[in-house]
Amino acid sequence: MAGKNTGYLLPLPWTLTLLLIWIFPLVWSLVLAFADYNLLSGELNWIGLENFRRLLSDPSFQRALWNTFLFVIGTLPFTTLFALLLALALNRPVWGKNFFKASFFIPTITSLVVVALIFTKLYSEGSWLYRFLGQFFNLPSGGFLLSDKTALPSIMIMDIWAAIGYYILLFLVALQNVPQELYEAAKVEGANSWQTFWAVTFPSIKPMLFFIVTLNTIKSFQVFTEVFVMTKGGPLGSTTTAVYFIYEEGLHRFKMGYASAAAYLLFAIIALFSYFLFKSFKSESEVLAPAQTKA
Amino acid sequence: MRTPLLPTFLLLAALAILFLFPFFWMFYVSLSPGWTLNNFKDVLEQKMFSRAFFNSVFVTAVITLGNLFFALLAGYGLARYPTVSNRFLFISILAVLAVPTHVVIIPLFLLVRKLGWYDTYWALIVPFLVSPLGILLLRQYILSLPVELEEAARLDGAGELRIIFSIVAPLAKPALAALAIQSFWVNWNNFLFPFLFTSSENLRVLPVALAMYQSYQAIDWPHLFAASAVATIPVLAVFLVLQKQIIAGLTAGALKQ
Repeated sequence: MAGKNTGYLLPLPWTLTLLLIWIFPLVWSLVLAFADYNLLSGELNWIGLENFRRLLSDPSFQRALWNTFLFVIGTLPFTTLFALLLALALNRPVWGKNFFKASFFIPTITSLVVVALIFTKLYSEGSWLYRFLGQFFNLPSGGFLLSDKTALPSIMIMDIWAAIGYYILLFLVALQNVPQELYEAAKVEGANSWQTFWAVTFPSIKPMLFFIVTLNTIKSFQVFTEVFVMTKGGPLGSTTTAVYFIYEEGLHRFKMGYASAAAYLLFAIIALFSYFLFKSFKSESEVLAPAQTKA
Repeated sequence: MRTPLLPTFLLLAALAILFLFPFFWMFYVSLSPGWTLNNFKDVLEQKMFSRAFFNSVFVTAVITLGNLFFALLAGYGLARYPTVSNRFLFISILAVLAVPTHVVIIPLFLLVRKLGWYDTYWALIVPFLVSPLGILLLRQYILSLPVELEEAARLDGAGELRIIFSIVAPLAKPALAALAIQSFWVNWNNFLFPFLFTSSENLRVLPVALAMYQSYQAIDWPHLFAASAVATIPVLAVFLVLQKQIIAGLTAGALKQ
């Protein structure tokens, strides 16, 4: 019988997970961020803002933040743009499009560890790619991942390749939801394909674009697995990203407080980015709203 | 209308090769020298990888079943009992989905140790048993189902659990299928948390075993790629068979935003 408590009992496992896996750890790591915690002795000393002060003057943390920023700037625009272009192509009645869709999506469903391993070999000195490119360019000895100039860009290229499939699918969903009447109206008014894109397609897929850019930003700021498998943050710290830094400091050197402070700083940066993304998309969609009603 | 599609087709075909080629290459290397399945045989006989394969199957199966069970219960609860606290729980799901996971890496590691779960199956399973995205998916789907059948069953004296499992579950099959595939895919490939929560070779899942194998020794690529292929084939097979449902499941989460 539908008892009074059923409504509370059914989601209880989620309530417990929320408390145990999210709220408690989030509070705990905030506490740790203001402390010096020794895992082995269990000693916890309050040091106030010291962790944050040390972080901001720590050259390896600055380097990690800079690398993370480079990674985001070097992947996000390309992933988004290429995904949109490919989705537009796949949205046409082109022959074999289900096959193409599957092809682009296969890297996405594959374990990132496997993808990283394939590319580790591909980027190494003896590989066919290295030998092929070596005929035209002066390549770093030891392969692309052993030079501090090429390691990070190599990982970025792999990531664009690996992530794009999912965003293509999301764009396709958005494109299929564009009302057909709008296209017909645009045709009647004699709009060319460029005008149709800006007046009809773009405004309609804008919420999805916003979602994709936000999701992709959050994911890109958290890049870790690729770095762990391919370079371990090297050479010379050139691929140490923020999460890799957190992992190294917290779980390798057991500086839990220091690592938690870094995690919260990164969290704050991601939140700030998301906030500005949200604001810019909102104000822009107000400007575009009249155009949408016209079409 | 026909001619402009040929360049599009050619472009897409060229790109498809670019996307598929690394995989063909992986399989090609895993079959070397010559065309032999020996590497696969070695890998499956090697205790480290066969154990990791078993761990991956076991952990992924338990998590997927747990995700389905709890998402069905919670999704139904949130859809049909819109109390104030349930509205809060619903918002908590959206909030959790927006919080980057790296913030909880350190405290989760500490928690897992405190609970005595470090380097046990508990650590590999419990934190992932309840999937917030799964609950969201089921809640949205159940909201779209008519309540009349449930009410009729209630009048006939069926209990809530009976209603959930014999009336709601069959109706929610498409959402459950999408969730099952998504859980399988995400957890089969999960690396970071299994890597952080375990240390012994016996508890490695496939992605962890692959990543650690590499840091062991001078890399034996044919064997490593054979093991990688073993880790990839199940997802690939499931994907090729159930493509439509996978895409529905993966995009469902985004659609509701």
